[in-house]
Amino acid sequence: MKKTFLFLIILSLFFSCKNEKKGNGKLNVVTTTTMITDLVKNIGGNQINLQGLMGSGVDPHLYKASEGDVTKLVNADVIFYNGLHLEGKLVEVFEKMKNKKTVAVSDVLDKNTLIGSDYFASNYDPHIWFNIDYWKQATNYVVKTLSEEIPEQKSTFEANGKNYLNQLETLKSKLNTSISTLPREQRILVTAHDAFNYFGKSFEFEVVGLQGLSTATEAGVQDVQNLANFIIEKKVKAIFVESSVPKRTIEALQASVKSKGHEVKIGGTLYSDALGNTGTIEGTYIGMYEYNVNTIVEALAAPPSR
Amino acid sequence: MSSAQIEIQLIASIAAIACAIPGTFLVLRKMAMISDAISHSILPGIVIGFFITHDLNSPLLILLAAITGIITVILVEYIQKTGLVKEDTAIGLVFPALFSIGVIMIAKNANDVHLDVDAVLLGELAFAPFDRFIVPDVDLGPKSLWVIGCILIVTIGLLFAFFKELKVSTFDAGLAASLGFSPAIMHYGLMSISSITTVGAFDAVGAILVVALMIAPAATAYLLTNNLKRMLAYAISFGVFSAISGYWVAHWLDASISGSITTMLGLIFLLVYLFAPSRGIIAVLYREKQQRTEVSLLTFLLHLKNHNEEEERHVNHLNEHINWQKVRSKTVLELALKNNMILIENNIVSLTEKGDDFTSQAIDYIITNEDAEIEHMKDDFFLFRG
Repeated sequence: MKKTFLFLIILSLFFSCKNEKKGNGKLNVVTTTTMITDLVKNIGGNQINLQGLMGSGVDPHLYKASEGDVTKLVNADVIFYNGLHLEGKLVEVFEKMKNKKTVAVSDVLDKNTLIGSDYFASNYDPHIWFNIDYWKQATNYVVKTLSEEIPEQKSTFEANGKNYLNQLETLKSKLNTSISTLPREQRILVTAHDAFNYFGKSFEFEVVGLQGLSTATEAGVQDVQNLANFIIEKKVKAIFVESSVPKRTIEALQASVKSKGHEVKIGGTLYSDALGNTGTIEGTYIGMYEYNVNTIVEALAAPPSR
Repeated sequence: MSSAQIEIQLIASIAAIACAIPGTFLVLRKMAMISDAISHSILPGIVIGFFITHDLNSPLLILLAAITGIITVILVEYIQKTGLVKEDTAIGLVFPALFSIGVIMIAKNANDVHLDVDAVLLGELAFAPFDRFIVPDVDLGPKSLWVIGCILIVTIGLLFAFFKELKVSTFDAGLAASLGFSPAIMHYGLMSISSITTVGAFDAVGAILVVALMIAPAATAYLLTNNLKRMLAYAISFGVFSAISGYWVAHWLDASISGSITTMLGLIFLLVYLFAPSRGIIAVLYREKQQRTEVSLLTFLLHLKNHNEEEERHVNHLNEHINWQKVRSKTVLELALKNNMILIENNIVSLTEKGDDFTSQAIDYIITNEDAEIEHMKDDFFLFRG
């Protein structure tokens, strides 16, 4: 029996030396999160063969690989991923990949500007897409990487990149206008988990997440109580559900505020770790961001209910 | 088939074998859920490792995970030895406690780090071929293949070296102790191997599949045989078969590989549970029905022997006298006729010489010996064979 295994192991080594290339001659690009897929789609356009691992609406925490993902990864020439442990153990796998170009879009960012862990120096908040300036840097990085891979398409990628940067700039000024209608003291964002820190930093929001970054921990009873007191004290009008986190915890928070004789409404669902369904406006990065901000501004700015 | 696909099947198959061996003993010792317990209770080990190294990728984390697994086993054993609770209760007491220690440590000290079991152990078969073991410029294949392969070789080595000891201590701890090998050492050895296999296979194939591969093939094999060697062989075959067929189901459905393998394990268990030759549901139902008929036959023959009155022996009266339903009386009559135990003349039933002989023997057995003896009698009279 052991001989058979040995044989099989040797066989697998033999096979692993073989390189396979498939596809229609285009560069095979694989991306992880929906945000990155959207970014690369905007720059690569039809010049590349783009496949996202996490389908629309799939949260990186909940992502389960399917058999088809193996083939996608095997055939990939370039892999774009977020990095900063967002994709869990997969980040480490990508970092060590030898025969493929793997690109962590977070690599381009200056680590000193990232929001770090209070406890451990080398760990950062991975939700970098909520800082539009970071996303612009990521755009340039994707343009640069794709241009290196297909030099003959360099001008196309650069034009697409420039176009997208303009769109991001427009988005930013639009959001600034919309958020400026909200008085500073009302800019308090209460959500289910700590995904919006970069958003808060960009637009001067105070961000409070009920749950930590890790999905293994759950909100403690005291956390809920403290946060409820905080909401009452600061007269926060609305709290928010995230598309990828169960409603339950936020509803518990709402109930807790209510039990203390105050009202807080659920302001709507925000997209945090994944975009909406493809084809919808929220299925793009820009649409998602606009939707989030509109939801937040509308809910927080609403006149006090009689 | 690409090389990655072959490697995945290879890793899954080797993990299946590595899990089936300790799994068989765990199932026999009624400790099957220990693998589930270990896959949860390794969290504090990982958290402590992270506090020491501040690095999610350090091998120390995996080492500490395996050690926490062994601690789990020792604690379970200790609680169980008090005799106050059973094995499953002891397991249920230990692992939630350890797991929650891990959760509390994260909540208190590392709430803003993405720290959980998934962040340290890969646990996804689909990515296993991409996590490679590379010695300066030489690609030696997937890392998890090496890890689980080494665990398998150690397991097989220990199995061959201590097979007799394991067998005796599993089935009769008292005898093992009197023969001079300590059942406790065997127990801890087995549990340590289970712990290491769980952590190693967790890294290669993921949490749910580890538990499924440890328990399902062994449980399925247990339905088919009483022989330990055969049970091991069956468990390994079921494990490997599910691993490979599950992979192709996943390929076909473009679904999660470990999910499909687990589904295959469940399906095989269901099939065996229904159709196993002696312990399967259908076989058991059939046997129960046969036994009922046999008992009825015996009652009927005794009734005939006790009553010489013709009215008591009239075919149409059987329903009233022995309180049978029509269908059953017909079956019993036919069976008795087929075995030449009765004669029917003008609807009056009487015992033949053979039937009379059989009945008096039956009475003898019932009076003098235990009921089990009747089983042999059936052979004498070729019941159910004619």
